[in-house]
Amino acid sequence: MISRLLLAASAILITLPLAAQVRHEDILAAPNEDWLTFTGDYAANRHSPLKQITPENVGDLVPKWVYQVPGATSLSTYPLVYDGVMYVTNANEVHALDALSGRKIWAYTHPDVELQRKNRGAAILGDRIYFVTSDCRLVALNRLTGGAIFEEPYAEVENGYHCTVAPVAIKDRIIVGVSGGDSGIRGFLAAHSAESGKQLWKLWTIPGAGEFGADTWGPKTLPWGGAGTWMPGSYDPELNWLIWPTGNPWPDFYGGDRPGDNLYTDSLIAVDLETGEMQWYFQFTPHDVWDWDGQEPPLLLDLEIDGKERKVVVQANRNGFYYVLDRTTGEFLRGKPFVDKLTWASGLDENGRPILIEGMAPSAEGTLVCPTVWGAANWMADSYSPVTGLHYVMTMEACDIFTSSSEEPEPKIGFAGTGGERQPRLDGQFVIRAIRPETGKRVWEYGLTGPTRSWAGLVSTAGGVVFSGDDDHQLLALDAKTGEYLWHFNLGQTIDASPITWARDGNQYVTIVARTAVFTFGLFETTADH
Amino acid sequence: MKFLGVLMLAVASLSAQHADPDIAAGEAAANQFISNPEAIEAGGELYRLVCSGCHGVTGEGGRGPNLLTARNIHRLGDQRLFAVIKKGIPGSDMPPSPFEDEKVWQITAFVRNLSAPALRQNVAGDPEAGKALFYGKAGCTNCHMIRGSGGFIGPDFTNLGANQNYAQIREGLLDVNKRFTMGFDPVVVTLADGKRIEGVAKNYSNYRLQLLDRDGRLHLLDRAKVGLEFKDESLMPADYADRLSEDEIQNLLAFLSRQSLRAPGHQDDSE
Repeated sequence: MISRLLLAASAILITLPLAAQVRHEDILAAPNEDWLTFTGDYAANRHSPLKQITPENVGDLVPKWVYQVPGATSLSTYPLVYDGVMYVTNANEVHALDALSGRKIWAYTHPDVELQRKNRGAAILGDRIYFVTSDCRLVALNRLTGGAIFEEPYAEVENGYHCTVAPVAIKDRIIVGVSGGDSGIRGFLAAHSAESGKQLWKLWTIPGAGEFGADTWGPKTLPWGGAGTWMPGSYDPELNWLIWPTGNPWPDFYGGDRPGDNLYTDSLIAVDLETGEMQWYFQFTPHDVWDWDGQEPPLLLDLEIDGKERKVVVQANRNGFYYVLDRTTGEFLRGKPFVDKLTWASGLDENGRPILIEGMAPSAEGTLVCPTVWGAANWMADSYSPVTGLHYVMTMEACDIFTSSSEEPEPKIGFAGTGGERQPRLDGQFVIRAIRPETGKRVWEYGLTGPTRSWAGLVSTAGGVVFSGDDDHQLLALDAKTGEYLWHFNLGQTIDASPITWARDGNQYVTIVARTAVFTFGLFETTADH
Repeated sequence: MKFLGVLMLAVASLSAQHADPDIAAGEAAANQFISNPEAIEAGGELYRLVCSGCHGVTGEGGRGPNLLTARNIHRLGDQRLFAVIKKGIPGSDMPPSPFEDEKVWQITAFVRNLSAPALRQNVAGDPEAGKALFYGKAGCTNCHMIRGSGGFIGPDFTNLGANQNYAQIREGLLDVNKRFTMGFDPVVVTLADGKRIEGVAKNYSNYRLQLLDRDGRLHLLDRAKVGLEFKDESLMPADYADRLSEDEIQNLLAFLSRQSLRAPGHQDDSE
């Protein structure tokens, strides 16, 4: 009898959630000491309220630890930090680290996945970590043990999909998207139950035959037109809408087989979280032939525009224009170039539609167009500081020679209709720019050296510092107000991710992932400080 | 030492047979026999007749290598394993087979199945009765989790049947101190205030300790600030052979062997 009682007591114990649980409200309040979602917060502002590190003391930053991810060659992950634990992803893997020491607590490799693609990060909710495998399975793990709870396949490799997206946890659901838009897929966005993994809704980003927007395609390309959803979007809790970016049309560089605007590619779409119904869309680059996905972060801001308080979404788009939209309606409010090298459009009309310049379409012999295939901006993280009122963007000033081919398009095999190449000896340059979103005016800029081959982005802090990876292997600190250079550290390898900042036991840290390893920095402490 | 020498010779000989044309001809045969329940059963009878004298009745080894755990054998492709059984290993005690190819393929299917993931071994016993034991009388969920349900300080069993073979699972249940799993070292920590915490060390260095306790609390500790004692005995109870009957053990093994994150038909085993 005694042993039965003991067993009964232990059975009760294991059903109680003794470990701390991440609630939706916690993510709404983030970031603070923790970093709980890919973009730091649902509005993708990526601004930390932490103040310990300032322009005055940032020079005292020192490396605290390095975690070498075994076998990693192209990490592209933004870590999460919760309750002293950091979660880092690689293709089909999650590593849980003691955030103060970089020591591994557990590592999980999903079984039997052959496909190895980049992975951009995880989501956390309750006592679970969520991530997607390269072959598009949503996986839930216990955050303390790394034990699997479920896997839910949500897209098929044989239909051209692969998956890299960091899922977004909102309320009781996990939002996931798909990659493969350069190869001919039918893009979609989906919500899954956080509890069971079962799909709750699925919204196609390419219309079906007979649906609204189908007439913006031709018969050869519908419904394989792409519009991938490979980057996490934003979420407005008042509207209860997702504001999600979509990718390029397919074939990327030849538009002859897809006459029309090619909805809903290169767009922002507003989607009801509960039902998955589209509320509005705004297309940045109708009938894109330069591969300019709309996957740059959509920042949700409340701004005074023309004397009126507006709920807006802003985006520095890959096509070189900076857009301000009303996020309750999708209405275009204003837009202007944020790079100097922009040759394909002379401006935007009153509806935000680009005014095209003749002769800029890719051609068989090659057409020189600015910006490049990589774009004037890309998936690298932006940041908006409410302290300075500035939007910090990793921009690229460069041009490509775009070529196209009218070869018969075949989906799912990697056919893109050719591409773009940099002019010999003219690599261009990454430039960090601070933009005032109300006006689109550039307040300061800081040019970077390097080969324009990085995917590094930014984070800003209430302490007045902007941290960024650069194009030359370095983690960099700039003054948020002035753009003045403050500090750097050479990581010795290319950076394809963006920094985060977090705190533990009253100390602020900065973490960035480079191609093979995770690096964490904090202020120098003397032995006496320990 | 002598055994090791034989084993090493065996490995070298296995490698040398890579280019045998008979091997290339065997792909269709491999498809026909490997994982085929009838072939495995027929192969088992032949195995007990001619192989078990050296490799043990259940493949546990003896004069010859342990077929359940020998990694160099697991790594062999089906055709190479067939060739070794058919031709023996010249210069070693492993003789050629007296049987025609079909029967050699049946033995190959049996040997392959010995080290196959437990999920594919159709382990005997009543999995439903084993499930009741796992979640009830055997107390496994005090420490082990399946699909997020259970305890924290033992290895997760969600994908156990796909990750381990039957012999490994059986050994884990009944011979608990034979192998320690990394990340599950039993420790007791004494904090500065004298409070003691028992759990497993997920990791440790001279400077830092990551301890997970029974209640699922993660303690991230500076070694300089705590006392740390490693326990010699696994936290896994060593008395299951006494506490459970033979049938109960087999039922529990049948349940554990069928745990897989992916396999259709086993999704509900832990619900």
